[in-house]
Amino acid sequence: MNVPTAARGWQVTDLPHFGYHGCYLRIDVSSGFAERVPLPETVLRQFIGGSGLGVRLLLDEGAAQMDPLSPEAPLVFAFSPLVGSPLTTSAKFAVVSKSPLTGRINDSLASSGFAIAGKACGCDAIVIVGRAPELSALIIDDGDVRLEPAAEYRGATCRETEAGLKARLGAGFRVASIGPAGERAVRYATISHDGRHAGRGGSGAVLGAKNIKAIAVRGTQRADWANPRELTALSKALSKRSLGPATAKYRELGTATNLVTFNRFGALPTRNFQSGTFNEAANLSPEQLSATRSKTRESCVTCTIGCEHIYTLGGKGGVRVEYESLFALGSLCGVGDADAVLRASQRCDELGLDTISTGGTIAFAMECVERGWLSEPWLKFGDGDALLRAIELIGSRHVPGNALGNLLAEGSRRAADEIGHNSIAIAPQVKGLEIPGYEPRALQTMALGFAVGARGADHNRSGAYEVDFSDKVDRRHVTLDAVRHAIDTEDKAALMDSLIICKFLRGVLVDFHAEAAEMLRNVTGWDVSADELRETARRIVSAKRQFNLLAGWTPAEDTLPERFLNTPLPNDPEASLSRERLDALVAEYHRQRGWEPVHQ
Amino acid sequence: MHVEFLGVPRQRAGVSDLEIHANTLGHLLGTLAAQIPSLGDLISVDRLNSSFIANLNGDRFVSDPETPLGEHDRVLILSADAGG
Repeated sequence: MNVPTAARGWQVTDLPHFGYHGCYLRIDVSSGFAERVPLPETVLRQFIGGSGLGVRLLLDEGAAQMDPLSPEAPLVFAFSPLVGSPLTTSAKFAVVSKSPLTGRINDSLASSGFAIAGKACGCDAIVIVGRAPELSALIIDDGDVRLEPAAEYRGATCRETEAGLKARLGAGFRVASIGPAGERAVRYATISHDGRHAGRGGSGAVLGAKNIKAIAVRGTQRADWANPRELTALSKALSKRSLGPATAKYRELGTATNLVTFNRFGALPTRNFQSGTFNEAANLSPEQLSATRSKTRESCVTCTIGCEHIYTLGGKGGVRVEYESLFALGSLCGVGDADAVLRASQRCDELGLDTISTGGTIAFAMECVERGWLSEPWLKFGDGDALLRAIELIGSRHVPGNALGNLLAEGSRRAADEIGHNSIAIAPQVKGLEIPGYEPRALQTMALGFAVGARGADHNRSGAYEVDFSDKVDRRHVTLDAVRHAIDTEDKAALMDSLIICKFLRGVLVDFHAEAAEMLRNVTGWDVSADELRETARRIVSAKRQFNLLAGWTPAEDTLPERFLNTPLPNDPEASLSRERLDALVAEYHRQRGWEPVHQ
Repeated sequence: MHVEFLGVPRQRAGVSDLEIHANTLGHLLGTLAAQIPSLGDLISVDRLNSSFIANLNGDRFVSDPETPLGEHDRVLILSADAGG
């Protein structure tokens, strides 16, 4: 259908001139009705795009009070002013919704051609509501929106779906899809594009609940830039700098190199956070992985860094290797067999599963088996076959007789509620989101970042580990002075996720806010300053908190599981974090944010 | 003292660790730059490039070239960006 424009309460006289289209596309897949809703410049300047714009749109839609898997719940794909520009790493989009895993805000980011093609459809965001009458593909072809049957892709992997739809629709389309996990409402299902995933928090389950298997976008509409000559020069300079020593780690080894480093510092989560060291860590190092496997490097569209290291896996194709996947499916489950870990990671990608939550939930179940709380004796730490079997069970939930798959598909917090025995004390999650690969007792600024994170334990919304790996704090004995540093990293992440640029540029941008302001000025023509962007970041973080408050957030959620607060790390007795100290850090965080005092 | 290299510094150094004598961090870095030319892009005279960091005994991170070092210390050299 051709898409009409509707005012929906916005003042359409206040539209941006550069960097934006000044509207979002709102599609009700129940009825097939789509409309373009104007976005005033004031809103865009306040929230920029990506995560910030997505949260704002969710608040406007009243999403906080909705069941995220209900038809009326909105799912937002938000682009940004930098998308389509020559700035390195800028081809990114945010998928924002209420999380079915946490019941709180969820903003997941992914990269590449979908962002450029989606924005070229002439919109700054796509908001999807409703539930299609049958499994469908949502096609947005420039000014035209339609649903097509997608029953032939039922049960297909993300890659199969993407390849099939691109072949069916023809040149120029970019596709984001869900795998079997999203169709079956696994609460940590992903949305995949070009092998990358909007991974955390279950956005794939939200899309699956709408009976949408995939979204295909193609467009010709480009947003103008305010200062094209200056932007081109800036982009060239930034690209050149992006090839310097600050990104050498990502280019030469990939994030997988963290595994050995974190192990050396006793900060590598192992066997469901029972230890901070893993004696088989070297098996999973990039040096060891590449010793017996061929490897290629890939980049997202527009990216000059090229952090993706793809390893071959026997006759089973390639697999993107990331630290978080290696830790979650490796050390966290006690599995040191590299082939098993790589295959597990590949299988998660195929099924459309978040590797961190998958590994975290399975590791939790393994410990429950070890303690005699769960009667699945085959599910043992260190057993690669058991890991792969558990992943298959999760991906095939709702198949009759698959009680364990159904349990694990709910995530560790809900599984703990079912298992009982106060197993919630060892469930590796905050607000329901499984904890990434940073041992909180050994990295205590990060512990605070995890505890207060709006979407739960997360290393992409709080970069507080940067503080722990610096001379600003004593990482195992942090004081209240660490709080301001944790806030700085959270604000910076909020801004990067809204502009959007890749966090791997952090070390390249010497004066982050000033340089970000320069980018935005040249794209939008706004007289934006570094100080304005600092204020914008705080506004976006506050908007996420506002969403959570409306969704039922309570102070008790800003904490860590008991395990971390009453047991020092066995390999490092100094790595100890008491409940009193964490509570003090959290209270100071709230005070510095200017939020109301909370009582634990 | 003992020096451990992790990640990119290990690649550049071509070894995972080595023994070296130095009284201060600056002295150590200067000696490393002289002995292992492939570490040149990590070290500026007596300091690490801002993309790399040093840690003392697995405990605290250090950057002051005057940081004293003892015979039994272990200095770890790694990438500053710990992100995954």
